[in-house]
Amino acid sequence: MERVVQILADAVSVGSLYALTALGIGLIFGVMRLINFAHGELITFAAYTLLALFGQPIPIMLFGAVSVAIVLALITERAAFRPLRNADPTTLLISSFALSFFLQKLLILLVGSRLKGLDFLPALARQIEFAGVRLQLLQIVTIVVAIVLLVALTWFLKATRLGLHMRAAAEDFRMARVLGVRANKVIAVAFALSGILAAAVSCLVVVQTGVVQPRMGLQLVIIAFVGTVIGGLGSLSGAALGGFLVGAATILLQAFLPPDLRAFREAFVFVAVALVLLFRPQGLIPARGLKERI
Amino acid sequence: MSEPIRGWRSGAFEMLPRLWPLVALAAIIAIIAIAASFAPAVLQRRTTQGLINLIAVVGLYVFVGNSGVLSFGNVAFMAVGAYVSALLTMKPAAKSVFLPDLPAVIAHAEWPTLPGALAGGVAAGLVALGIGWPLMRLSGISASIATFAILVVANVVFGNWTSVTGGQNSLMGLPAYVDLWTAFAWALAALVIAFAYQETRSALLLRASREDEAAAQAAGVNIVRHRLIAFVISAFLSGVAGVLLGHFLGIVRVENFYLDLTFLIVAMLVIGGRGSLTGAVAGAVVIAALTEVLREIEVGFQLGKTTIAAPAGTGDVILALIMLLIILLRPHGIAAGRELTWPFGRS
Amino acid sequence: MTSGAPLLAVSGLVVRYGAVNAVREVDLDIAEGEIVGIVGPNGAGKTSLMLTIAGIVAPAAGTVTFAGRPLGGIALEDVVAQGIALVPEGRHIFASLTVMENLLLGATIRHDSRAVAADLDRFFGMFPILAERRRQPAGQLSGGEQQQLAIARALLSRPRLLMLDEPSLGLAPLVVDQIYALLGTIRAQGVTILLVEQNAERVFGIADRVHVMSGGKFALGGDAAEIKSHPRFDAAYFGVRMREAASEP
Repeated sequence: MERVVQILADAVSVGSLYALTALGIGLIFGVMRLINFAHGELITFAAYTLLALFGQPIPIMLFGAVSVAIVLALITERAAFRPLRNADPTTLLISSFALSFFLQKLLILLVGSRLKGLDFLPALARQIEFAGVRLQLLQIVTIVVAIVLLVALTWFLKATRLGLHMRAAAEDFRMARVLGVRANKVIAVAFALSGILAAAVSCLVVVQTGVVQPRMGLQLVIIAFVGTVIGGLGSLSGAALGGFLVGAATILLQAFLPPDLRAFREAFVFVAVALVLLFRPQGLIPARGLKERI
Repeated sequence: MSEPIRGWRSGAFEMLPRLWPLVALAAIIAIIAIAASFAPAVLQRRTTQGLINLIAVVGLYVFVGNSGVLSFGNVAFMAVGAYVSALLTMKPAAKSVFLPDLPAVIAHAEWPTLPGALAGGVAAGLVALGIGWPLMRLSGISASIATFAILVVANVVFGNWTSVTGGQNSLMGLPAYVDLWTAFAWALAALVIAFAYQETRSALLLRASREDEAAAQAAGVNIVRHRLIAFVISAFLSGVAGVLLGHFLGIVRVENFYLDLTFLIVAMLVIGGRGSLTGAVAGAVVIAALTEVLREIEVGFQLGKTTIAAPAGTGDVILALIMLLIILLRPHGIAAGRELTWPFGRS
Repeated sequence: MTSGAPLLAVSGLVVRYGAVNAVREVDLDIAEGEIVGIVGPNGAGKTSLMLTIAGIVAPAAGTVTFAGRPLGGIALEDVVAQGIALVPEGRHIFASLTVMENLLLGATIRHDSRAVAADLDRFFGMFPILAERRRQPAGQLSGGEQQQLAIARALLSRPRLLMLDEPSLGLAPLVVDQIYALLGTIRAQGVTILLVEQNAERVFGIADRVHVMSGGKFALGGDAAEIKSHPRFDAAYFGVRMREAASEP
């Protein structure tokens, strides 16, 4: 019984990580119809910032990671995506793919491709008693951070003027502009928010794995992308849900598959995803007003 | 031309302008192959690998160029081809060393190279047929992400199916029969297949639907079916490219068939121009030349006692930067969607 | 009517989509306080004309001058700040947002929240159905209600010129009656209106002046009463080439 709760906690915690990642991708897709492969590099660069600032007080490290992620997000928006504002979705996809590789290879050029250990917030790795079950503190923290960020993002979108502009732009960009919503501002804010989400994911992953390596972000977003697709491209709750389900599924499969099939768990997840798409191509929570823009 | 020339010769003359892109591209790679055959062995090997990459890019183009949907999954088909051909053509003795747990039928098989290669391509095509059917019903971007999933799944499966593929270990001992002229022959075949396909009615309908899916569907075009046809042919060619790569290097390693190779092939197609066969070839040729130059820069040159060289990894950064610049400044690539045109005007 | 320069002056406007000429050398003047109608069949170029005036489409040639200032080359987001509000064909309300949120978006460029609140109250008076449904997702409104929402949203930016593209499209006749009655009220409040319609009858009931557009050009133009009874109206509407008067029976 305790084991089951532990597995569930693990599933929810990993699912939350992927939900946050998918949310970062979904935010950008909502306003720009762009799948941002480079979101993974935001996560990776934030992690390397933590590495670079190691030894500084924790708040400084966190602030550094968040700042780097936001600044990098804004720079990439300005340089690689704004010129393609009116391009077709495939061109945008190619651009984000190329950008992702460029940033990754640049990082490898600068710091090498080998992974580096980083002992960040080791206190979170300890076990605590929670309702009679031994869980990792990090799992609780991950879930709490995810909930806090989700609530904050939802509040921002529903209760603020800028959030309203973003929701309008996500549904009908041109009409929003006709009403005076500033395209550049809305998109920049979306990228900045995605940077914050990426930094949060990055910190949590670094605490959990204790390493940074140039491919870490990419590995996360590959799974998150698929989650966004089954959740329903263009809907934020869909992205979060899809990311969560895919992430949780990998943990549950790891726990419940027979040992010789465990290594294939990602394959099973993706096959399940394919089945979902087969029966519901528009995803679990399709976005309203999303015509054939994709 | 005042009067049309009668007889079989007129048929050829009339066909030539239409076949020109194929003829010209074939001539270009023939010239490259011939030139390489006089070059030192190292350069020959690089050219052979370049021709193999060309086949892979042409394979990717068959799907991407005609359907307008970007696929990240073709390297997975290359892996299928490589492993299938390896398993069928390797000497049983070698197989028993690396893959002791193979089913007996495969363990004892020792096929000749050509049937092995064809089997690799066909196997890739069959996989594409199986998984393509649900995939092709997805809309453009979702389909692209789904092809990414194909790449990841293939990597997970091949990387862990230790009894059949050796898992993370390299599979060594493939008959290394791929030399310059083998690669050239297959490259020629790939060009012919790609060209012949893109002139078919199915491909034409697919390209038409690329512009406006809703209109095409309203006109009764079965987009799913035509996309699937392109996907399967594309997978076949990619599978063949994988076969050749495996038998050129003599080894198959699962990590060689993942993101870096995907990036290279996609970059070649994007830089060359994803809308035409000429673009695919142009991309392969240009990037092959570029990687030569970048390789030299990383090796460096001697200036007195010091070696001036770029740090390792510079080449990758520059390649990614070029792809980024192309997509920003000239998104349709070098060929800009056009084929080589008959230079002598219309007769 | 009004003396002085026209509120909107369009001169020699040419709009092309690739090789297709959507608008060919159109001149149009709208004086402040007028209701001007442009009628014509599908594909006549009416929408292209309107989108170009709104700044959404860039013209190939010609000028658009609004309140004495040229409108060329300004960003799409700045058009509404100039005083032009567009109610596009198909209404384009945000279906996933509430009625209230849709309306608030109309006030995007305004920063005087008290006055916006007062305007909202006024519009809820003018459009009682919107008041009733203010918290519902706008996608649940009927076609006529959505049209009212789109108009109210446009009015919230306090425009000098309100442009409506096919407001009667897809709506039941009784609903269209209501909409057109509204337009009269809006004009009475000092807003100039440019109206584009396929349904010429409706336009004659409310417009001061009417232009007939066909094949990208204005074929006829003048006072509404005059155009309504013009002998060549049908020919102009359907783009039939007009014969010389001498060959008429």
